[in-house]
Amino acid sequence: MTEQLIRMRGVNKFYGAVQALHDVNLDVGNREVVGLLGDNGAGKSTLIKVLSGAVPMSSGEIHVKGRKVAIRSTTDAIAAGIETIYQDSALVPQLSIARNLFLGREPIKGWKFLNRMDQELMEQVTRKLLKRVGIEKNIPPTTAISALSGGERQSVAIARAMYFESNLIILDEPTNNLGVAETQGVLRFVREMRDAGHSCIFIAHNIHHVFQVVDRIIVMRGGRVVADNIDPKTTTVQEVEMIITGESLLAGKAAAH
Amino acid sequence: MFQRLIRRPEIGPLILLVAEFVIFSAMSPAFLSLSNLSNIMAFTVELGLMALAMTLLMTAGEFDLSIGSVFGFSAVLMWTLFNSAGISLEAAFAITMAVSLFIGWANGYITTLLAIPSFLVTLGMLLVVRGTALYITDGFPQRTWSGGHNWLTDGLAGSFYIGGFRFYSSFALFAFVAVVSGYVLSWTAFGNWLQAVGGNPNAAHARGVNVARTKIALFMLSSALAALAGITSSIRTAASNPNSGTGYELEVIAMVVIGGTVLTGGRGTIVGTVIGVFLLRVMRNGIVFVGVPGLAYNIFIGAIILGMMILRALFARRNGGGA
Repeated sequence: MTEQLIRMRGVNKFYGAVQALHDVNLDVGNREVVGLLGDNGAGKSTLIKVLSGAVPMSSGEIHVKGRKVAIRSTTDAIAAGIETIYQDSALVPQLSIARNLFLGREPIKGWKFLNRMDQELMEQVTRKLLKRVGIEKNIPPTTAISALSGGERQSVAIARAMYFESNLIILDEPTNNLGVAETQGVLRFVREMRDAGHSCIFIAHNIHHVFQVVDRIIVMRGGRVVADNIDPKTTTVQEVEMIITGESLLAGKAAAH
Repeated sequence: MFQRLIRRPEIGPLILLVAEFVIFSAMSPAFLSLSNLSNIMAFTVELGLMALAMTLLMTAGEFDLSIGSVFGFSAVLMWTLFNSAGISLEAAFAITMAVSLFIGWANGYITTLLAIPSFLVTLGMLLVVRGTALYITDGFPQRTWSGGHNWLTDGLAGSFYIGGFRFYSSFALFAFVAVVSGYVLSWTAFGNWLQAVGGNPNAAHARGVNVARTKIALFMLSSALAALAGITSSIRTAASNPNSGTGYELEVIAMVVIGGTVLTGGRGTIVGTVIGVFLLRVMRNGIVFVGVPGLAYNIFIGAIILGMMILRALFARRNGGGA
């Protein structure tokens, strides 16, 4: 495997008496796209929430680039270079594309105490980024998010992750509710992000989408990682489906691996 | 270009404001006299200061119902301190402003820390503050400034003549605060945060914006400007009544929403609020001039609010819910 970016060891998460994660180990390499699969309630989203700082883990360790980090909030995660793009993409619908892209990290122009945003710079960067994430239509950076389609919003969220040079981009069900063309757009972004040097965890219900872009597939069931080294090039969709539902012997083999 | 202009939220109230001037001046020539215009301005700014702060606060998704009480309480507190405690006017003023900032901080802290709707928190604060004002005065009005010049009273409620026009210094204060709040809302990073906080607090939080601190700052601003308005009013009218300012919070909210700021947060307009402030104050002044009994004032205000909201809803539907 390539050099390691993320290393999670012995992660447990309890919600009261319910254990949502059992001793989870997970690695993501540099420039690696990992698909995270599992049925509803398998623990995928809990794992992602822990990694993105949305909920604290009960015990375990997280290392980023070989350094142990404490992720207690989304701010900690962002500072560690972990960017999560949620289903609703966490944008402010009333604000413009440019204002959303720079929210929380607005460039300041002139005297500091005047707190004036450099709107020119923001719009200029936004225009470039929108082109880079493949929005062909000429959308002005001052357009409100509420006027964009679901796919375009997804692209804005991805553009933000790219601009701030996150090491790891987590895509939580990015292709849900998207049309065919928009889905292809998202999958293309994932490939481009890898080419640009980002790593990615890709979570999707649609196994076919995952198969199209990932280097490696991880399967979770019942709060445990049951397979973490499935190669999409040598494995069929049917085999993976059987691991997800727990009907396969391959699962035991892969977990022991 | 024209299409874009007509879609702006400020255009509706602006047309109404112009219509008011046309109708009132046609019905009563005295309406446009210099003394009346300066009168309108003097009354306007006190509610206007509170409306500016309320615009920022409502854009961030919160209300402050306690401003009417703070308006009355702060004047009472300052003059009681000055009359009974034997301290200088400046010290009494400083203490009063500090107390008002504390009230705002408490509003914001309770609202954000315990996630209680600000509607309820500030409703409670409204009663606490008004009750305190009545208690410390036994319900009697306080003596205020009795002549003589002081930089503070001159600065807040002084006036001078430009030709036949009496210009109140409080109007300069209002204009200054309007320009600053407009700048903050549209041009600064803080303005971006407060719009984000009102539009989608989860997204703002996820981007590292301190939602609680942003809101608390705005609650403090709201309280401080209400205190400043109350003190100014007490100097101008030479009266400090523990009951003054009752119901101002609703009139201020009306000014803000008529101007085009949305009730649910995320979008606000300072220009619209300034128009909304004048719209309601000119109405109050004008209907007296044309001979409508002052007691009927609320009928007109209510009609403006309802009419404005209906127009806006119809317009939004025609434009497919957007903009």
